Amino acid sequence: MKKIDAHLRRALQEFSKGYLLKRDAAFAGMDFENLRTELAEVKDKALSRCRELCAQFEAKAHEKGAKICFATDGAEANRLVHSILKAHGAQLLVKSKSMVSEETQLNEHLLRRGIEVRETDLGEWIVQLAGEAPTHMVLPAIHLTRKDVAHIFSRRLGKDVPDDIPALVELARNELRRDIFRAAAGLTGANALVAENGSAMLVTNEGNGRLVASLPPLRIILASIEKVVPTTKDALLLLKVLPRNATGQKITSYVSFIAPSPQQNLHVILLDNHRSEILADPLFREILRCIKCSACLNVCPVYQVVGGKKYAHIYMGGIGTLLTAWIHGLGESAELADFCLGCHRCEAFCATKIRIADLVIALRERINRDLRKPFWKSLAFEGILAHPGFTQAFFSSCRASRRVLARENGFARDLPPSLERYDRFRALPFPAPKSLTQRVRERFPQGQAVQWTTKIVLFGGCLVENFYPEIGLDALRVLTRLGYHARLGEPCCCGFPAANSGFRRSALKTFRRLMDGFTDAEAVLTLCPTCTTMLTRLGPDLMGTKRGRIMAQKVVPFSQFLLEREKLRLQGLLSSRPSPSSVTYHDSCHHKHVLGASHASREILEIALGKKLQELDEPDACCGFGGSFSLSHPEVSEALLDGKIESIRKAEVQVVALDCPGCLLQIRGGCERKRESIEVKHTVQVLADRLCQKR
Amino acid sequence: MSIRFDEEFIAGATAAGGEVMKFANLESAFAFALDFLKQQNIKAVVIAPDVPLPSARMEAWPLLRPRRREDYLAAGAGLVRADYGVSSTGTLVHLDRSAAEKIVWTMPPVCLCLLDKSCIVQDLDGISAALSRHLSEPAFEQPQVSLVTGPSRTTDIECRLTLGVHGPSRLIILLHDGEGS
Repeated sequence: MKKIDAHLRRALQEFSKGYLLKRDAAFAGMDFENLRTELAEVKDKALSRCRELCAQFEAKAHEKGAKICFATDGAEANRLVHSILKAHGAQLLVKSKSMVSEETQLNEHLLRRGIEVRETDLGEWIVQLAGEAPTHMVLPAIHLTRKDVAHIFSRRLGKDVPDDIPALVELARNELRRDIFRAAAGLTGANALVAENGSAMLVTNEGNGRLVASLPPLRIILASIEKVVPTTKDALLLLKVLPRNATGQKITSYVSFIAPSPQQNLHVILLDNHRSEILADPLFREILRCIKCSACLNVCPVYQVVGGKKYAHIYMGGIGTLLTAWIHGLGESAELADFCLGCHRCEAFCATKIRIADLVIALRERINRDLRKPFWKSLAFEGILAHPGFTQAFFSSCRASRRVLARENGFARDLPPSLERYDRFRALPFPAPKSLTQRVRERFPQGQAVQWTTKIVLFGGCLVENFYPEIGLDALRVLTRLGYHARLGEPCCCGFPAANSGFRRSALKTFRRLMDGFTDAEAVLTLCPTCTTMLTRLGPDLMGTKRGRIMAQKVVPFSQFLLEREKLRLQGLLSSRPSPSSVTYHDSCHHKHVLGASHASREILEIALGKKLQELDEPDACCGFGGSFSLSHPEVSEALLDGKIESIRKAEVQVVALDCPGCLLQIRGGCERKRESIEVKHTVQVLADRLCQKR
Repeated sequence: MSIRFDEEFIAGATAAGGEVMKFANLESAFAFALDFLKQQNIKAVVIAPDVPLPSARMEAWPLLRPRRREDYLAAGAGLVRADYGVSSTGTLVHLDRSAAEKIVWTMPPVCLCLLDKSCIVQDLDGISAALSRHLSEPAFEQPQVSLVTGPSRTTDIECRLTLGVHGPSRLIILLHDGEGS
């Protein structure tokens, strides 16, 4: 991908900002966590009875006069729709939002057979006229400006159309209404199918759904099998969550429950299209809990930059990647799977608690197994990082070439022009002259760091070990000041990069070795949330044993450990005058969304500084690092970093504190490129500066 | 129905872009609607079959009597009644029996809707049983249920809210006490 569409990015980000505020207001007084847990349970139960509920739905709808068909795949669904239309002599079909018909590419199928198809949702109609694909599930034409829309309408009508939004909407109303009256058939999707009475629930804002579902004499509902829920009550529960989570509305303008009757000519087509295979897969079946609210897209940092044209096959974003893998094939999902940053932000917003980021990792594993392994990732994760000896040799050779390749300020010399897309937007650091392990050995020549009074292990991770040893040393200073003596964990990779890229074997091998080193530790303190995620979640899941989970319980982020054990002491030691520096905090993705440890760091920082932190506009907006993501998608990484630095600049602070050495690499490198004189420090460094300063 | 539901309903409906007028009885709601049509210079109104307007009084209304679906396009307003109101969202609930009812709700640019205050329930759970019953009723031409909250809306062009894209751009709820339901 070469270029980011600036208008699209701005539109998506503005929508996202407004969305978060509206969503909070819509859920006010409700317990979102309870609601989504309840909905996830309802969906899970329905999925476990999917065949039975489909049969019940079929029987009820049939009994009331509807004609029901099952389609094994998209091609069969398209054939069924065509044969129904043909049998009734229908030449024009009007449609109201149906993702499933996009999945089956129904429009193209019917057009090739001489049947006109008209989308009636305004956004869908605009993109249909433009000959483009939707960019957003809820706002399909968000990438187009009013001028674009006026141009598209002018072309269709053969006359000049002003770029005035109310006038454009009025024009659409008149045009589409004419088509809805003229159409012999109307097709809608369904947000839920109710087994107990054979009805379908349809949620829209514009009202086109109810017109399409009631005016044309022939009506078709095309929906996938996982939409079936047992009762109306279950559908109403879904309705409580869907609009609130989708657009921040308590409810959409129109919700219709459509039930068959003998007087209507209603056909229902239930589509499988590999969903039975998903249902049979214990790991992936939860993706069928998706209610297509698109909340995951509204908060996805990558989607906010590239939109649904790039980050979609037909279904969009992370959840779309997973659905694509099953519905349209693993091959179609391979490139999309690479787009997920693994920030896990989507999971906090998902209406049915789908573990999207974790499942994308599992998907990458299947892609590596069944399709291809990217060469450079294979070399890095299986060849170098999986072998501590190779890793150390690699960094030793880097250090040996420091005079040639590093600048005085510690950053690497600029990459050659052919590779500048990787460091144009952020200066890359060069490995430190000495690793953390070397620095500790020099400082404690008699091995004083290995005093086992409290059996604490400090695990820095690759970046602290090789690039930022000063962070590890500050952590040891803080621990020493508080009376703890810690030893360093093995100076090797935690295995996260391999696990995240789907290299299961390498990741597991590394994790096992690390865990062996932690056997007699009471606590393992970490300085990198990504390592912590590996040691507490991904690793134990890969290992799948009780031992892995027991060991994982010892691992705790540094700030959290201090807050839980030393809060009062720190308050006593740091009760002097407030810090003169203005400090803000950047929430690293794993620290906040996976570990839920941001609050601990914020509290520690506020104790250390003796005052409140200055908040950023969006403190948890991703900085765009994402490990190998910033190498796979440097343009997206750059766009996200630009946004982060802009918000830091607006905050007018002297120091940005954070907890992830990867974020530190990214933001510090970005500040260097933009010549911003802002210090970027790990939380531990801010604390050490205050706690261990010379008096 | 408590006063709290009443107020919450008005707040919810207003927040969704609807307009709510309160009346002491159904009679005064009809009187307002008639006056409104005159003031807005609306020459043709369609009235849903289930609106309890006494036939003797119909002469006063600029009634449109559609024979074909296209005739509805000439209507400047539609007069309908809701079966329930949901206070937590400001939603009107109608148990549709025919396509004609739905068209009156949706086609004209202005929708005037009668709602008996005593039919307001707190949330969606309060209508669950009624919905189930109605959807299981095979006798109607189109046994559907419509939940309508504010006018028809779109934000599809530059995320700017614009009303009346497919349905009415004004939804005026005539909330009345008493005998209507």
